Amino acid sequence: MADRPGTPDTPRPDSAETSRRGFLSSTALAAGAYGLLAGCASESSGPQAKSVGNAPKEVFTSPAKKLGGSLSILMWSHFVPRHDKWFDKFLSDWGEKVGVDVRVDHINTVDVPRRAASEIQAGRGHDLIQHIAPFSQYEPSVLDMTDVVQEATRRWGQQLELCRKSSYNPNTRRFYAYCPGWSPDPGDYRRSMWQKVGMPNGPTSWDDLLRGAAEIKKQTGVPCGIGLSPETDSNMAARALLWSFGGSVQDPHERVVVNSDATVAAVEYMARLFKEAETSEVFSWTPASNNQALIAGKSSYIVNSISAWRTAMGTNRAIGDDIFFVPALRGPKAALAAQHVIQQWIVPKYAANPDAAKEFLLHYTANFPSVSYHSELYDLPGWPSVVPQLNGWLDNDPWGAKPANKLALLKTATSWSANIGYPGPSNPAIGEIFNTNVLPTMFGRAARGQASPAQAVAEAEDRINAIFKNWRARGLVGG
Amino acid sequence: MTHAPTDRRPAAVQPPRARAKAGLADREGFLAWVMLLPSVVYIVALVGVPFLLAIAFAFSDVTTGDPSFDFAGFRNFDEILTDGVFWRALRNTLVFTLVSMVLIVLFGKVLANILVADFHGKWFVRFLVLLPWTTPVALSTISWLWFLDSIYSPVDWVLRHLGLIDANVVWLGRPGTAMASVVAVQTWRLTPLAAVIVMAGLVAIPRDIDEAARIDGAGFWRRMFEVTIPLTLPVIAVAGLFGAIMTFTDMTVPYVLTRGGPTHSTDVLASWAYFRGIEGGDVGQGAAIALFLFPLLLAGAIAILRAVRRLEAG
Repeated sequence: MADRPGTPDTPRPDSAETSRRGFLSSTALAAGAYGLLAGCASESSGPQAKSVGNAPKEVFTSPAKKLGGSLSILMWSHFVPRHDKWFDKFLSDWGEKVGVDVRVDHINTVDVPRRAASEIQAGRGHDLIQHIAPFSQYEPSVLDMTDVVQEATRRWGQQLELCRKSSYNPNTRRFYAYCPGWSPDPGDYRRSMWQKVGMPNGPTSWDDLLRGAAEIKKQTGVPCGIGLSPETDSNMAARALLWSFGGSVQDPHERVVVNSDATVAAVEYMARLFKEAETSEVFSWTPASNNQALIAGKSSYIVNSISAWRTAMGTNRAIGDDIFFVPALRGPKAALAAQHVIQQWIVPKYAANPDAAKEFLLHYTANFPSVSYHSELYDLPGWPSVVPQLNGWLDNDPWGAKPANKLALLKTATSWSANIGYPGPSNPAIGEIFNTNVLPTMFGRAARGQASPAQAVAEAEDRINAIFKNWRARGLVGG
Repeated sequence: MTHAPTDRRPAAVQPPRARAKAGLADREGFLAWVMLLPSVVYIVALVGVPFLLAIAFAFSDVTTGDPSFDFAGFRNFDEILTDGVFWRALRNTLVFTLVSMVLIVLFGKVLANILVADFHGKWFVRFLVLLPWTTPVALSTISWLWFLDSIYSPVDWVLRHLGLIDANVVWLGRPGTAMASVVAVQTWRLTPLAAVIVMAGLVAIPRDIDEAARIDGAGFWRRMFEVTIPLTLPVIAVAGLFGAIMTFTDMTVPYVLTRGGPTHSTDVLASWAYFRGIEGGDVGQGAAIALFLFPLLLAGAIAILRAVRRLEAG
């Protein structure tokens, strides 16, 4: 051990030395204490609804081979805090049963891409990473999940098309991700407001929306809440509108087809909707803004998952009971909405324990009834046969919806939902177009009058072509 | 610089290890390097290495999902130069920087004048003034995001109750007010730094110069424009340089407040580089966009430092 100043057998150092050493040791101590405090910090949980049903029983299938070692998972902090509480115990129980030392880190969903990017650049990090939007750009650095998808399909039948198209690259014939679940993106509306304009069941078409929302704004001053901001929900709504008018970014063969009469018509519609039924606030929104506006009675209609309603159920039951849902609105050509959340589980090539990661994913999928239940029906299964009780829950909500069948429309959600690359796959070009907000900008510029609808579409086409060209050169996009 | 050991106590009474330790601790030259080392390591590791990496990435086809390095020549630069959003971001960056810099210097000077004056509770005012600078930028910007919220903005609430507006302004939803908000928050954040720099210049002015001007009958404004400002101009230029550099390279304020919206009207080069490189996945193009900051910053810094030198020489 080093000599200490001031002890009897060593001379006492001068005061300058003491203060230097003192300063250095206090600094080190302070830094250590700060690190400890930072390490202890945790995210807070939001309100939750109360369950009136029984949680499904969990199942366990022994792994195909003996497992060991450790498994670390990086995933989002679920919008429904109850889910994470359940998941952490579920993972821990599985780890104990199969002899794997498990760890899970939940982080804010917006931080997952940058964390995944840094781990993949560094070549070390978590063995299994989950995100809720397509992760196709990571294909060169992740393991092919074909074997897991094949095993899941053997056990539970056909995977949903939108899940498959959000995890499979037809050009390389690889599953870059495993997609066992998703969440739909219905229209959420305040019944009391729509009742005043003679539409108590909400709009069923984009024409209804324009007519009804404009009338509500005229009568009550409350605008419609279809976002035009650089954020996720605006991106989803933009796709729903585009597809319903018959437009799309790409065709099934990944050729860019965005510049069409249908797209121009969709942009013209959005410009009218903004002018007649919205305000500039839709340009300033974050992903939480439309939820807040709907709950606060400052929006008559938004496109979102069921999370806004679940939040209201926990905080103000009367408001929760006034929020209702409609399926994708019908346009001139179709009635389609984008998926809201798409589960993407990737195993980076650097993962030390890929066998455990893949076995856990099969175990997780086998227990998807618990996933749906503990996420308060936010997460729906990618292999529908795994959750036979789903339709029963949607008809009679275990979390106390009023009326109990409020979510019954989600029974047909797969027929009006599509992956974000529709009608093609969710490739890296589609991902970059989504993340750099090309479509909300296209709709927004026309709505603002900064460009004519045709010009706005032409500008978007230029950017989309450049992005496709870039990713095609890397062999990840067809066409 | 080295110095001889200063410990004059008899060596015989000290154990050898203690003697060696005391010697090192008392060598100021050695300590100077030890104290400097963290800064040097910090700058090399967190500025030098990323800068070299950015140059390498800008000439590569690296993506977030594929770290393997393949030389791409000038392809990334060619592509970003044909992108309309890049030019919009460059224009926004210049507007954001120039307007913020002027306001930061202006308010910094005013604030510095207040801070050097004698009044009761000066320490408390100084503490309050420095608060925006010491608060982590992300945290303070999130607070501003709430202040400027389209529905619950307390700023709008106050203006409504004062009868100045009828409905919420929606600060972040219109291109003009969004840019004004971003500039205002950046100015609010950096003004304390400028004030402290200018304050250092103000206290360095010899009192007799000011007194001589007073005896000659010069009023407040005349002394301000003919004595104080000319004498502190080099320091004001340094404050302006700091403000410009820290604004030019900042993406936190635009990213947190508007994410570059509405319709890219507040996207700056740093935020657009982040969108393209990390969120979009194209690290090469993101790095190429970020590199555009460097020559512009270098040219701006050289121009201001030359002007300061000329002023000092004059």
